[in-house]
Amino acid sequence: MTSATTVRPAGGTAPRRAGGPVHRLKRHFRRYWQLWVMVAPAVAFVAVFAYVPMYGLQLAFREFDFAAGITGGDWVGLKYFQQFFDSPQFWNLLRNTVVISVSTLVAGFVAPIGLALMVNQVFGRRRKKFLQTATYLPHFISIVVIVGMLQVFLSPTSGLITRVVGLFGVDDANFLGSAGAFVPVYVLSEVWQHAGWNSIIYLAALSSVDPQLYEAAKIDGAGRFSIIRHIDVPALVPTMIVLLILNMGNVLNTGFEKIFLMQNPLNLGVSEVIATYVYKIGILSNQFSYATAIGLFNTLINFAFLVVANQIAKRVSNTSLW
Amino acid sequence: MLPKPNRRSGPAAVASLAAAALLLSACGGGGDDDNALHILVVKHPLTGPMADMAWTAEIEKAAGIPIEWEEVSADWDQKKSTMLAAGDIPDLVIGANAITDADMVTFTGLFEDLGDDMDSLPNVQAMFDALPETELMATRPDGEVFSVPSYRRFWPETATRQYVNQQWLDNLGLAQPTTWDELHDVLLAFKTEDANGNGDPDDEIPIDWSPAGEGGFGYFQPSVFLGSLGLPITNGGGSGYFVEDGTVGNFLTDPRYKEVVSFLHDLYADGLVSPEVMTQDYSTYQSVGRGDGDTAKVGFSWGWTASDRFGPQIADQYAPIAPLAADASVAATDLAWTYDSYSLNYGVNTVTMSAQSSKKDAALKVIDAFYDQDLSIQALWGDFGTNIEEGGNGVYTVLPPADATLDSSSWKWTTTLADNSPGWIRDDIEVALPADIQEAVEDEEPIAGALANIDPATDIWPGELIKMNAEDSSRLSLLHTDILGPAMQRWATWITEGGVESEWDAYTAELEGLGLTEAVEIHQKYYDEYLAAQG
Repeated sequence: MTSATTVRPAGGTAPRRAGGPVHRLKRHFRRYWQLWVMVAPAVAFVAVFAYVPMYGLQLAFREFDFAAGITGGDWVGLKYFQQFFDSPQFWNLLRNTVVISVSTLVAGFVAPIGLALMVNQVFGRRRKKFLQTATYLPHFISIVVIVGMLQVFLSPTSGLITRVVGLFGVDDANFLGSAGAFVPVYVLSEVWQHAGWNSIIYLAALSSVDPQLYEAAKIDGAGRFSIIRHIDVPALVPTMIVLLILNMGNVLNTGFEKIFLMQNPLNLGVSEVIATYVYKIGILSNQFSYATAIGLFNTLINFAFLVVANQIAKRVSNTSLW
Repeated sequence: MLPKPNRRSGPAAVASLAAAALLLSACGGGGDDDNALHILVVKHPLTGPMADMAWTAEIEKAAGIPIEWEEVSADWDQKKSTMLAAGDIPDLVIGANAITDADMVTFTGLFEDLGDDMDSLPNVQAMFDALPETELMATRPDGEVFSVPSYRRFWPETATRQYVNQQWLDNLGLAQPTTWDELHDVLLAFKTEDANGNGDPDDEIPIDWSPAGEGGFGYFQPSVFLGSLGLPITNGGGSGYFVEDGTVGNFLTDPRYKEVVSFLHDLYADGLVSPEVMTQDYSTYQSVGRGDGDTAKVGFSWGWTASDRFGPQIADQYAPIAPLAADASVAATDLAWTYDSYSLNYGVNTVTMSAQSSKKDAALKVIDAFYDQDLSIQALWGDFGTNIEEGGNGVYTVLPPADATLDSSSWKWTTTLADNSPGWIRDDIEVALPADIQEAVEDEEPIAGALANIDPATDIWPGELIKMNAEDSSRLSLLHTDILGPAMQRWATWITEGGVESEWDAYTAELEGLGLTEAVEIHQKYYDEYLAAQG
């Protein structure tokens, strides 16, 4: 898929004429300066908002001292990383974070594909549009409202869902208060909210499938499932891989707000994740250096996942980000 | 910078509070080049604009220069972190514990040491002389005074009062419970019979309490049952520290705590506790307590006053009752409760001054004006004339709400800074109290005996009076984050699912592994110093 592979300026591969790197660079800019001008605002944006603030990372290796500023504290090296690894909370946090994010990743990856394949099968423009709109609308509900809805629907005394499962003989279901229910509730509500929205990109990919392929398959006697299996799914694979790699880069970035709002003392054992711990330590207890170190650790893990996923995809299917 | 209108006129001021807070914090800070004194006030969400409070004119007169109020009604904690980290604060910050002890040790050099300005603060100095505990609350371990507390005098000694639905007891022909066993029987009767008489025997919630978060215990929670075993606590329990015979302990690993949890599980297992007790938020807990019209839903609970907890419509059904004894062997002279006077009658860190202020004189005059006799009482209960009748010679009458739809507590919060204000209510003045405080004091009567058993000088952990240095306070905040997570989770699971007996030993070992012993030792060190300083 062309849109996902890096646009590589031509000419870099075979040096045609002698000339140092400086010379080559000059020629490159002379030829492509229009492209560089177009991309300049984006580069500036990333530089200012993503790279410049990175100088704050040194806080992870320093003792935060307000009077001396972010760069002025005493250098303590890896003390705060050590403190985090030695913390009795470490394995617990890591396990919770991985469980929540991997299950969200898997369920959140499969559901939109299934939904897109289903919507694609619906006949009639209006019905299709309606189904699509109905499934992606929840995406726009704010997280606070979603958690409020969960609390109303799942309330052990008056909740709609609790009543419904009560009809099927499950008595006294306490989905909010049981640690075992936390991850399923989180993941399912996440899928419900975002599957419709995330399926849009797959629907776009499906709409680009050549109709001749469908006609040819029908003439050859292929049924609906064969068409999905042999035409639709292969058409989606490049999109799937790119999205999967991008999602891998966020594997430890659990949804802070939603988890934080869903936390209560009964589910804390499974719901305390790195992001909520950083908030409690860093913002509420003013441990800026420690919180920065934990955040940096989180980012490094994410980065490693991204690189590994990218390499695997490159080997296996020749689709990759770089 | 464009010149700002220095007072927003009437209709414009009726903008939503959130919008006002946003707007004001957006143009706040960085205003040091104009000649107004910038004061940030952290207000209750109900509180109206400062411009509507007539007493602020007196404050402005004392300052001698115009005052620009920056009013924050929501999300102060988030706003504060960024504001402090940027080092850009207004001349004064006002609000109960708006700048915390932890902020003072983290953001060194940001706040003015008022200790050497006492000559310009005669009212504050007089309060320190009259009430030495206020000076303790203000003074850092190294002697600086970054912030001044307030003193409200008339508040009760505890926030948590215990209520039982007397009408239900009468309907079922039962007596008020005095021990845990009797309570258990009463709650069972509430559960099985149609106590509220509406024909449905299953809609009664025998007992409910305020949700305990993962940050520890607070008001209106069954941690007061520790008092049934003779263990006095403060502020509903907090992180669990208590003092017994000069030794600091933490009840999270105390056998008496185990007994309380075990008893609560017995209640829960019998279906007597609201199933939502661990997951509901405070507003749900409050609204459930208000029942349905004239039909009460909750049989036994804790609250500030009956009308605050259960709503004016059914408040009459509830009677305040005395602390329960764990069993008949606990003598009435041993019963204890939660002692909250240091946090109810005092407001810690109510006013803090920026070290970079270029209008130091005006700022000091404003601080001192807040501790003036008349201004203190007006900032607390509202303007003379509309909210308070001034009888002269130190006699004041707090008037009932001018808006008949509001109760006296909401009226106070709507019309003035109330408990968020700095101030010193003198011990020698006479005040006819508003209805909410009167009710709180009256409903406290059954608890008075247990409270009298507690000597605040020796029987409680006086958290408000003890200030820790930077190293210890940051160590403790780390330890507490780690300890309270698992502890509060266990509290919730043990009550709902049981297991306290079998898991207790592993649990105490776990908390010790998380640093509880170290945390208690730090507290002990400061407590010894505190005792030594008391002489």
